[in-house]
Amino acid sequence: MAEIKDMQRLDDARRRFLTLPAVLFILAFAALPLLVVLAYSFMKPATYGGVEWQFSTEAYVGFLFQKDIFDDSLTFSSEYLLIFARTFLFGIATTVICLLIGFPTAYHMATRPPQTRNWWVLLITIPFWSNLLVRTIAVMFIIRDEGLINTILLSLGLVDQPVTMIFTDFAILLGLFYSFLPFMILPIYASLEKLDFRLVEASYDLYASRFQVLTRIIIPLTWPGIATGCLLVFIPSFGAYVTPLLLGGGRHLMIGDLIALQFGSSRNWPLGSAFSMILMAFVMLALFFQIRKNAGGVSHG
Amino acid sequence: MLNVKKEFGHFQAVDHVTLNIEPNEFFTLLGPSGCGKTTLLRMMAGFETPTSGEILLDKRSIAGLLPNGRPINTVFQNYALFPHMTVAENIGFGLKMLGRRRNEIVPVVEEMLRLVRLEGAGERPVTKLSGGQQQRVALARALAPRPKVLLLDEPLSALDLKLRQSMQIELKRLQAETGITFVFVTHDQEEALTMSDRIAVMSKGRVLQVGSARDIYEHPADRFVAGFIGETNFLEGTIVEAKGRVARVRLKSGADVAAAMPEGLPTSGDVTIVVRPEHLQIAADKDAALCATVETVVYFGTDTHVHLRLKDGSPVIVRQQNRRDGTAPPDVGTEVGLSIPDGVAQVLKD
Repeated sequence: MAEIKDMQRLDDARRRFLTLPAVLFILAFAALPLLVVLAYSFMKPATYGGVEWQFSTEAYVGFLFQKDIFDDSLTFSSEYLLIFARTFLFGIATTVICLLIGFPTAYHMATRPPQTRNWWVLLITIPFWSNLLVRTIAVMFIIRDEGLINTILLSLGLVDQPVTMIFTDFAILLGLFYSFLPFMILPIYASLEKLDFRLVEASYDLYASRFQVLTRIIIPLTWPGIATGCLLVFIPSFGAYVTPLLLGGGRHLMIGDLIALQFGSSRNWPLGSAFSMILMAFVMLALFFQIRKNAGGVSHG
Repeated sequence: MLNVKKEFGHFQAVDHVTLNIEPNEFFTLLGPSGCGKTTLLRMMAGFETPTSGEILLDKRSIAGLLPNGRPINTVFQNYALFPHMTVAENIGFGLKMLGRRRNEIVPVVEEMLRLVRLEGAGERPVTKLSGGQQQRVALARALAPRPKVLLLDEPLSALDLKLRQSMQIELKRLQAETGITFVFVTHDQEEALTMSDRIAVMSKGRVLQVGSARDIYEHPADRFVAGFIGETNFLEGTIVEAKGRVARVRLKSGADVAAAMPEGLPTSGDVTIVVRPEHLQIAADKDAALCATVETVVYFGTDTHVHLRLKDGSPVIVRQQNRRDGTAPPDVGTEVGLSIPDGVAQVLKD
């Protein structure tokens, strides 16, 4: 007995030793930078970028309040908060649109014969073969005033002036939707593929209408996939940087751009770090709700 | 059901089947896998559309109705219970979808739980139930909306033998208590024989014979039915004399046998006769007209199967009931006589 226990202990130790490189890697390249950002957010900005090593909560105060240049009095400023709210709305809107388009797409894929399903998955993942920046610029070429859509509309005589699409909220939404749609489709597809379609038949046999089959059987049973898809779309679109910058023309800021701005021309690293922390807190909150929801689902399902 | 036909591409799954199922009947579709019985059932449920032909319910065509519009429910082979619902939610699902109010659904669910003997299990998740219990929930769920017809697609095939036998009795009881027409699909001939009022034997998309269990077992219409239902012996011979419904058949081994003669068969020429193993008797005297050598003796508890070979080489099985009066089965390798009592053999249509 004792020998077996010793062996086990040895085995455990060896296993821990073998995972060490991975753990070190994660610590060095994921945890450490985060700690640096966290530390920066509690410091004072240096004049030419970087930080002064001095503790300060100024960055977080600056998120909600504006300091008067002359008497240092604080007045509430909703400017940054509005950008956060806007970004949040963009994130939600992108998620909803992706869900509305992605779910039927995933359903279509999952109901194809098994041989053709992999081709569909391949088609969905093709956009990943090129860079996000390249794809965003491609969208620009399609929707700009001299772009593909407007050229066609003009040559058909449907409009006499180009329809302005680029540098609008619509453009940002379109870009976000296009960039993140696969993240919605793939997890939903994965759970739909596992769905036992005999259950769909059974509910149909028990007088459920098509809509009821969807809401009472298919959606509850594929909920983990739907939730994962929503999260995978919401998180990156909430923190999106390239898409709003290129398609929104920098006029409609989102958090990602705001953060980039602080580290760039504004030279306020602590404020940028504080924004990053606040953004992360939001995302963690979303994750937390997702995990709780899933855990609840397991206990009664 | 009138002249129903279903084709998948060039494959005829169901080939011009006409069946008449009576109200309040326990009707069984029996056949080997791939014979079209499940396709037939799915057409009744509305999951498949007949290529041609009509399906009538109470003299009205239900061809245009979708599954959710037919007063017909199905018990699926794998039960297809909704895993995210409790037992009670599963049973009440049909009624809920029909728009019944909660205070109407609850008593029906209670009644159904009582009917399938699962009182008090209503709040349990279906995933925590055993196979037999899931089977009962599936039954209760399909019965709760009081369908005109209940379709059962090999519902017992996933259960072990003991459970299967008790569920057979249970199903029969449920059918009697609810007065609902049951259409039962199975490939298990024993299941079909024990439960059904009438059986339709199917093969290759066609219905070969419809009749009561006794009819089909004792008067099989053709070689397939005879071979599929129970064990049987086929013996080749020639008709020497046909008188009304009885024919004298001279077997290849030389013995003459009196065999029942179904209508519409030629009264001369080579025929096959069929004798059930339990009807053959091993005679003590070796001088009987039918002589055979014992090859194997298999003990089955209630009876013993004696495998013999006739002089002309054809195999024969005799089933002897095991009694405690000292009649021991013959020894392997010995030569015995066989006798076929009058009225147990039948001439077969090939």
